[in-house]
Amino acid sequence: MEEKSSRQPLDLRARILTRREALIGAGVLAGGMTLAGVLAACGTTTSTTTTSGTPKRGGNFRLGVTGGGAKDIIDGQNIVTKPDQARLVAGFETLLVYDENYNLTTEGLAESVTQDDPKTWTIRLKQSITFHDGKALTADDVVYSLQRMLDPKQGLFGTGGLGSIDPNNLTKMDARTVRLNLKQADSTIGEQLGQYYNGIVPVGYTRAGTQNGTGPFKVQSFSPGQQSVHVRNPNYWRSGQPYFDQVTIIDFPDTQAQVNALLAGQLDAITDIPFAQVDVVKAHSGLAVLESPGGGWLPLCMAIDMDPFTDVRVRQAFRLMADRQAIVTQVLSGHGRIANDLYAPFDEGFASDLPQRQQDFAQAKSLLKAAGKDGMTVDLHTTDGAAGMVDVAKVFAQQATGAGITVNVKTDPNYYGDSYLKLAFSVDFWGTRNYLPQVANGSIPTAPYNECHWPPASSNYISLYQQALAEVDKTKRVALKHQMQQLEYDQGGYIIPFFNNLVDAYSTKVSGFITSKGTLNLDSFGHGFRTVWFA
Amino acid sequence: MASAPSGSRSNRAALTPAPGGSTTPVPPGTAVGSAAIWVFIFRRLLLGVLVLVLVSIVIFLATQALPGDTARAILGRTATPASLAALREQLHLNRPVIVQYFTWAGGLLHGDAGNSMAAQEPVTRLIADRIVNSAFLVLCAGLISIPFSVLIGAYAALWRDKAFDVVTSLSTLVLAALPEFVVGVTLVVLFATTVTHLLPAVSLIPPGTKPWEQPLALILPTLTLVIAVTPYVARIMRASMIEVLESDYVEMARLKGLSERLVIQRHALPNALGPTFQVIALNLAYLAGGVIVVEYVFNYAGIGGALRDAVSNRDLPVIQALAMLIAGLYVVLNLLADIATILVTPRLRTRL
Repeated sequence: MEEKSSRQPLDLRARILTRREALIGAGVLAGGMTLAGVLAACGTTTSTTTTSGTPKRGGNFRLGVTGGGAKDIIDGQNIVTKPDQARLVAGFETLLVYDENYNLTTEGLAESVTQDDPKTWTIRLKQSITFHDGKALTADDVVYSLQRMLDPKQGLFGTGGLGSIDPNNLTKMDARTVRLNLKQADSTIGEQLGQYYNGIVPVGYTRAGTQNGTGPFKVQSFSPGQQSVHVRNPNYWRSGQPYFDQVTIIDFPDTQAQVNALLAGQLDAITDIPFAQVDVVKAHSGLAVLESPGGGWLPLCMAIDMDPFTDVRVRQAFRLMADRQAIVTQVLSGHGRIANDLYAPFDEGFASDLPQRQQDFAQAKSLLKAAGKDGMTVDLHTTDGAAGMVDVAKVFAQQATGAGITVNVKTDPNYYGDSYLKLAFSVDFWGTRNYLPQVANGSIPTAPYNECHWPPASSNYISLYQQALAEVDKTKRVALKHQMQQLEYDQGGYIIPFFNNLVDAYSTKVSGFITSKGTLNLDSFGHGFRTVWFA
Repeated sequence: MASAPSGSRSNRAALTPAPGGSTTPVPPGTAVGSAAIWVFIFRRLLLGVLVLVLVSIVIFLATQALPGDTARAILGRTATPASLAALREQLHLNRPVIVQYFTWAGGLLHGDAGNSMAAQEPVTRLIADRIVNSAFLVLCAGLISIPFSVLIGAYAALWRDKAFDVVTSLSTLVLAALPEFVVGVTLVVLFATTVTHLLPAVSLIPPGTKPWEQPLALILPTLTLVIAVTPYVARIMRASMIEVLESDYVEMARLKGLSERLVIQRHALPNALGPTFQVIALNLAYLAGGVIVVEYVFNYAGIGGALRDAVSNRDLPVIQALAMLIAGLYVVLNLLADIATILVTPRLRTRL
């Protein structure tokens, strides 16, 4: 997942899963499942799976999702737990949409979203889109939605990423056009508006009121922690869609029960199957595994202003101690791809040309010796915040012994409550994001989750970031992002061993699921359950 | 232990056939007993209330002392100092613990267990359906497992060292060693997912419906609980039955020429049931808690799921309410077991 504030629920879930697996001895190291998609799964990247035949109308699609509980909500612009994601996309849509390759497209509610100059964006809506209650979608709804997203009192996910929009300076140009006048230059507004949680809601929308969106399904009933039932929106604006008459989203606290329900035919699809179950599901006739290459990552974070990581040679040495392929194998059971200490792999400017770091104990030792830190001991703090967070720490600690370094793994259940962001060496988790939005969240002093206390005071990183935000020209922007990544590659505090896959499973009675690089499971839940059908 | 010392006065009295054909109580015992038993029940009820008060204090202190900041746990990573302060105020977390306790305990007495911090709705509404679901599951398991295990134990004792006894003793020993989740998962593999597909693998009870509307969904969880409880009860029943069958008063009854059937029905069985009731009560109380594991395996919407979720969310009012519920159940079941034991044990009854 993508959002940091979903940590709490994820955390719960991951802990439960871990325990359960230990109990049934299913426990592979990697254990997990995952909720947050963080570790989710699988390995090979195939392209399309079951898109075949002509879509047919009808049926009740039953989805099992782990990670929910009494905290579940339905809100067009927010989630708390993982099943909330499925419920959100069933009923609400965004202005722009990421496709299966994580490219931003105008498949959403907007006909166009353009950056006219560094500080001005214009949104133009498509025609003839209506809400569930029949009201037409207009510029007023967009203004209301943006203002709600920006209202800090609402505590919504999107608020932070849209910070450069001035909520009091949104101009309705005509019934379908809105102009955003920014407080500062920002080239990421389009990327933010494509995030699934920045849904468009009608004027006057509240979470407690009627759930009224433009999406393919209307909420019929909702019991937090148990299930929700969604019925087909007969007036949906895309002709022919959706195909199901009804979608039932069922919470599962336990992935084993979830897999069992799928095997027994009580569900049509589930999210995040445990790695240990992948082969079981594949071997079962009538079931298929959908493995998507996600952009989620679990960094080991070295705070660059805290001992012993103030010396860049120590940071480089630690990065050279990691055997990334072994970590993928042991932590993800192979359901992921090795990474190179850089994030945002699907970004237009991802620096894939920088040489892949390999484990190199000789060089690590000489760097440590030069820094006077050879043979040292360091604590690595982690928690069950997302599946794999403890495992990755343990595997790294084991590998570090090869360079003569003792890493003590400290697992603290209250990690995110007390010590988070104040530690010299810690583990964290992140979902898929493009580069600049991720920087805004984790790599500048104003970011809410800057674990590494990046960048160094002497660096021109922040100035590069501001230039990139203001840069309308893609080529120049990509060049700026590359410079930023070069700085992080050379001096940064992250050890990023892998990007994990998302591994889901579904009944072959269902057609239309494709692998996707998106943030959400099951190809964004079949685009809000509208591009899948019972064959 | 099970049986009465041989030759005690009450046992002899019990062996004297009463005019009405009953072999058990003597008339004075009856009169004294019925008054005394009410006194006994009343005293035990008072004790039970006292126990619950103590339990409530322990629960409250233990939950308050849970590691972690409740307000932060609820708000998650988006917590700001202002929102934390507001939530603490709303939940009275900033008041003295003693005030919090009396506010909470006072509310409980009025049937108000407070609001769930995670779900922002009354605890009672949150857990009412789940209590019904869990209670029904435990009831099904109890109704099946108790007569079943008493019969198994009694017959195993009667046919001691015969094939039936050997088979049941061995299998109850093995089953007693298996944790419920192993039993549950095995049943799922056998009946739902792999070997056959006869029954649902998980018990999906849509909100607003009652568990008895989904009888198929109840079979596997009930069976799991029955398998979890039966071995203990059957084994204690067998042990106490054997002891009773070897006692002097059974010998005496036989020497008097009573039919074996009468000996067992009138003399052996009631005396063997006394200790068994205690074990049944303990097991039923255990079911109320052990149901948590079974609910987890079968995704059954009961108090187990609510409790697990509440602990994860550090949702104190829900944890406290459910802990009190389970503690109350223990007290009530123990009381019932004591009363039942007295009713079937003349020696104890006449001593009241």
